[in-house]
Amino acid sequence: MSENQFDYVKPKFLNEALDIISKSVNPFILAGGTDLIDMIKEGIVQPDMVVDLKGIEQFNQITFKNDILTIGAGVTFSQLIVSKVIKDNFPIIAELSRTVASVGIRNRATMIGNICSAVPCMDSGPLLTSYEAMIILAGPKGERKVSAENWFINSRKTAIEKGEIVTGISIPYPGKHAGCFVKLGRYEGEDLAQVNLVILALSDGNFRVSFGSVAPVPVRAKKIENLINGKTISHTLIEDAFNIIEEEIKPITDIRASKEYRMHMAKIMFERGLNAALSRLNGAGPEYGISVI
Amino acid sequence: MKKEINFILNGEKVNLEVAPGEILLEVLRDKLGVKSPKCGCNKGDCGTCTVMLNGKTVRSCLVLAIEVNDQEVVTLEGIMHSGLTPLQESFLKHNSFQCGFCAPGMILSATELLGKNPKPEKREIQEAIAGNLCRCTGYSPVIDAIIDLTN
Amino acid sequence: MEESKYVGKSTVRIDGKAKISGAAKFIEDIDFGADLLYAEVVESKFAHAIINSIDTSEAEKFPGVVKVVTGKEFPYRFGLYMHDRYIFAQDRVRFVGEQIAAVIARTPAAARKAAKLVKVDYTELPNVLNVEDALKKDTFLLHPELGNYQHVPWFFPKPDTNISHLRKVRKGDAEKAFKEADFVFEDTYTVPRYAHCAIEVHGTIGLFDNSERLTVWTASQSPYTQRHLFAEALSPLGLTHKDVRVITPFVGGGFGGKAGVSMEIIGAALATTVKGRPVKVLWSRAQEFYNTYQRQGLTCRIKVGVNKDGKIIAMDNTLYWDAGAYVEYGANVVNAAGLSASGPYNIPNVKIDSYCVYTNLPPGGPYRGFGYSEFLFGLESHMNEIAKNINIDPVQFRRINAIREGDILNYGGKMNPNGLIEAIDKVAEAIDWGKKEYSDDPNKAIGKGIALFWKAPAMPPNASSSAFLKFNEDASLNIMISGMEIGQGLLTVMAQIAAEVLSVPPEKIRVETPDTDRNPYEWQTVASHVTWGCGRAVERAAIDAREQIFDLIERALGKERSSLYLQDECVKSKKDIEFSLPLKDFIINGIMKEDGTYRGGPIIGRGMFMPEFSSALSDPETSQGGKPNVHYTVGASAIKIEIDRQTGKMTIPKAVLAIDVGRALNPNLIKGQITGGLLQGIATVLYEDMRYSDKGKLLNASFSDYKIPTAMDIPAEVVSIIIETPQPDGPSGARGMGEHTMIPAAPMIANAVEDALGIRIKSMPVTAEKIALSMINENIKADIINS
Repeated sequence: MSENQFDYVKPKFLNEALDIISKSVNPFILAGGTDLIDMIKEGIVQPDMVVDLKGIEQFNQITFKNDILTIGAGVTFSQLIVSKVIKDNFPIIAELSRTVASVGIRNRATMIGNICSAVPCMDSGPLLTSYEAMIILAGPKGERKVSAENWFINSRKTAIEKGEIVTGISIPYPGKHAGCFVKLGRYEGEDLAQVNLVILALSDGNFRVSFGSVAPVPVRAKKIENLINGKTISHTLIEDAFNIIEEEIKPITDIRASKEYRMHMAKIMFERGLNAALSRLNGAGPEYGISVI
Repeated sequence: MKKEINFILNGEKVNLEVAPGEILLEVLRDKLGVKSPKCGCNKGDCGTCTVMLNGKTVRSCLVLAIEVNDQEVVTLEGIMHSGLTPLQESFLKHNSFQCGFCAPGMILSATELLGKNPKPEKREIQEAIAGNLCRCTGYSPVIDAIIDLTN
Repeated sequence: MEESKYVGKSTVRIDGKAKISGAAKFIEDIDFGADLLYAEVVESKFAHAIINSIDTSEAEKFPGVVKVVTGKEFPYRFGLYMHDRYIFAQDRVRFVGEQIAAVIARTPAAARKAAKLVKVDYTELPNVLNVEDALKKDTFLLHPELGNYQHVPWFFPKPDTNISHLRKVRKGDAEKAFKEADFVFEDTYTVPRYAHCAIEVHGTIGLFDNSERLTVWTASQSPYTQRHLFAEALSPLGLTHKDVRVITPFVGGGFGGKAGVSMEIIGAALATTVKGRPVKVLWSRAQEFYNTYQRQGLTCRIKVGVNKDGKIIAMDNTLYWDAGAYVEYGANVVNAAGLSASGPYNIPNVKIDSYCVYTNLPPGGPYRGFGYSEFLFGLESHMNEIAKNINIDPVQFRRINAIREGDILNYGGKMNPNGLIEAIDKVAEAIDWGKKEYSDDPNKAIGKGIALFWKAPAMPPNASSSAFLKFNEDASLNIMISGMEIGQGLLTVMAQIAAEVLSVPPEKIRVETPDTDRNPYEWQTVASHVTWGCGRAVERAAIDAREQIFDLIERALGKERSSLYLQDECVKSKKDIEFSLPLKDFIINGIMKEDGTYRGGPIIGRGMFMPEFSSALSDPETSQGGKPNVHYTVGASAIKIEIDRQTGKMTIPKAVLAIDVGRALNPNLIKGQITGGLLQGIATVLYEDMRYSDKGKLLNASFSDYKIPTAMDIPAEVVSIIIETPQPDGPSGARGMGEHTMIPAAPMIANAVEDALGIRIKSMPVTAEKIALSMINENIKADIINS
């Protein structure tokens, strides 16, 4: 049996949840639990209170209204994969979700949990920076929003403040667009990303490029965007982009991959991801879900 | 700090007291005697502890027992009310398992897949069982058995 | 070959239903009641240190703690082939994770928390973390007492060094032959350590009851060996073999990792300290990685002399094994590999030195392949390089040199009947050898690789098997053996063998996992030998029962004994066609005579098998003489890979493996070994390896970072080719094949990579990263040359 002593509540309303966490010493929010419960078992965190958000119905929803996609705090990766709204308008989110761990994890794990854990190899980070998403928080002082770019402060550190709960993510629809999520793992099965990358190709000829797992926080590669926006993609342009990649990301060597391989692959992934995103924008290219590496 | 929970386990109502820190896998195995979910890694990596929670497979080593209050849990024991399922029969025919340790989890993952999609492509089958590690079989006898069943 | 009814058929596993229904009980599924105690082990933080003192006082005071045990209570050395390890460390620790003490408590949580309160005071010693350091002249000795260690007669330790065993082979005159050879090729290949990764972890429960008998439940491939080692190690407590009982339920994967005795000794020993209460020791997944046997690392320097016609005339193979802190089992891997490191080739002049070297890493030990995977990586890579350099097709080169029946083995014996040439030809055909293929994707290259393999069971010459077989009233059967079902399908094959002799269908035969109180002796389920050895014992037990049946029929009914035979669960007579007596009519309750008296009684068969022709005695300087290996199983394997030149990522459109199994007793089960073993082998070359810090700490002790393949990481197609050249002394001609299916994987992939890209990778694993970075370096080199 687990030696961990904490209390557990499953409120039905947000206010109730906020009230409980304001009164607890070291409260933790439970959604999918795939990170939290492991950390509790390992003794990495010692909550006195666990607040289960799965009783709050509104958190379970994916909505698309006024060109804003909202993903609730309880929405699992499995829900993101099968959602019609996402398939029709943001297929890259489903593409990404399919690479997160495995079915039994995706049935519980949430995108919001992913960005709250904020480990450098998370998959959702570069997605949200590319989409210029907002993280929606509720707290004792009411609701506030933080841009994805400002959300990630360091490895495992976010802009959340004491007493706050992330209630959802809002993603503005960038108009007709296509994209590509590219993830480097050691094999086809479940793995933590050694490099990941989200490229969006917008219909106005602009691009959004974000890398993950190559720095403590996701890297929105604006210099690369500035280089390629509005341009026809040529071999020379890609070569120039490679040079900028060397400046923009700072991969490290760890047990999963060397910095040399990460750097090399970041370039390959960028080139292939860009081509795939462009082809997809034109109704061609590999189907979403087919890895380009 | 124990709390009472009520849930449906394999079609039966269960009522017991748990501490919030108790893990579903341990409660199923040690308190309720349901032994088909196994502990292979205790971190959600291997899939041997797979059970269905409200019809979806989850890692019971990463679920608090208290979370299943008012929910429905099904283990391998719970899908055999009228004997072996056709999927299990197909696994038997194809020598799909060797040591058998991963079998309960693998069978539940495949069951979930076929519930969602009775005619999956090979790639979908591979994705569906990718979270269930097997060191013995090389997986192809498992995949073949599922394909055979869907034909 | 006589027509058989049950042997040779793909009988559905008799344990299949138990396994797919969750009914199969594994070690953790057994309940031990409310007084079960739990032990947590206190482990060494250092790779090499002197233990100055252990303070257990705080731990003892912790609520729920029953006892804290240290090495002081068990100052005995033990081991399988060499007594070089302890139940708990004594004055010195030799690897990170080594057990120093154990806390026994009423709950796992209390044991875990209290274990953290045990204070160990260490003085660090210099770490010896690799073979190179261990062999330096001024190196630090890990085992200064090496010269005093008890060991089997076929080991040759070198006291005052870190060499715990050296196997030397000298056949012909290699030195002279190198001088005569048209070409000599020399290279070095390295192989890291690997983990078995059975999905079930190790666990053991010991109960030393108030009558002072010790029962130990283990997840094990070796119940009798465990009983023997428990009895031997704990004999100072007055235990004898009859007092020790080992019960082994179904095992969730072995692969060698659950052979011999590793953590199980802790459960057995601790039980003796808490008389009357069961105590459980269960490894975590991390402990499973760092404190069970590991596959040993290898550096191999290989030199081959070859003539223009492609005939190899000399080989010099020096193998340095990183065997870890204790080698009680691992030294036999070194020994077995040393005897066979020339591979399945007929080479007249051979020199092999196989060094077993102590290092401050976890103990090495048996792993599917038993050293052959490791040396075959270098050997079979090197064979391709030679073929390329002398302009002979790699398949043709292997055909020229492949060993054939009657060829002289390294120790002077003769090679058994085998279908190696047939295997080579069949895999070459199946993989379209010689046909260069191109990918539709310009980024990708396709390559093909081949590797041959051989392996003999590594076992003591007197390793034996035995079987009891008892009939039930309905003429169904229970067979009792101590060969272990570890997934391979042993129970089913044993049932088939008995079925064939007794005409009782396998579905009427139950074969259960061992209990040493009930089931007769089996050495161990290792070495791919149980189908062969245990199979012979079962066959003999069945024949014994059959002969008793015929005796009875003759005695009770006056039928001529020589005319009797069994068919469809009946006794029949060739002389009396009308006569057909169902077994169930008499097999327990006998046959009634006219006067109402009965003849007969329950029929019980017994059988045993020992390879009486085997001997491990030979000249230590040359290994000549004796017959250490009972037979070799051979085969060939080939693969087609598609590599992305930029990313280094590989896919496998097709893999082919042909193996000469002597006789396929159950073809489906053999195919299972091929698909499973191949993937395990492929994983060692593409994904896996154990990584250590410069302090000797294992860095990837989890499935998150030790990547075993998933269902998405398999070859698109596996072709299994079964060849049957009967083994004269095997049951129905069968020989072992379980380990062999993984051992050619590494070199055939390295060879395919070379074929596709022209890059020779000489160190395992051959990961996408390694390939991609090599390609970049090659391109840089090419650019320099071009400019």
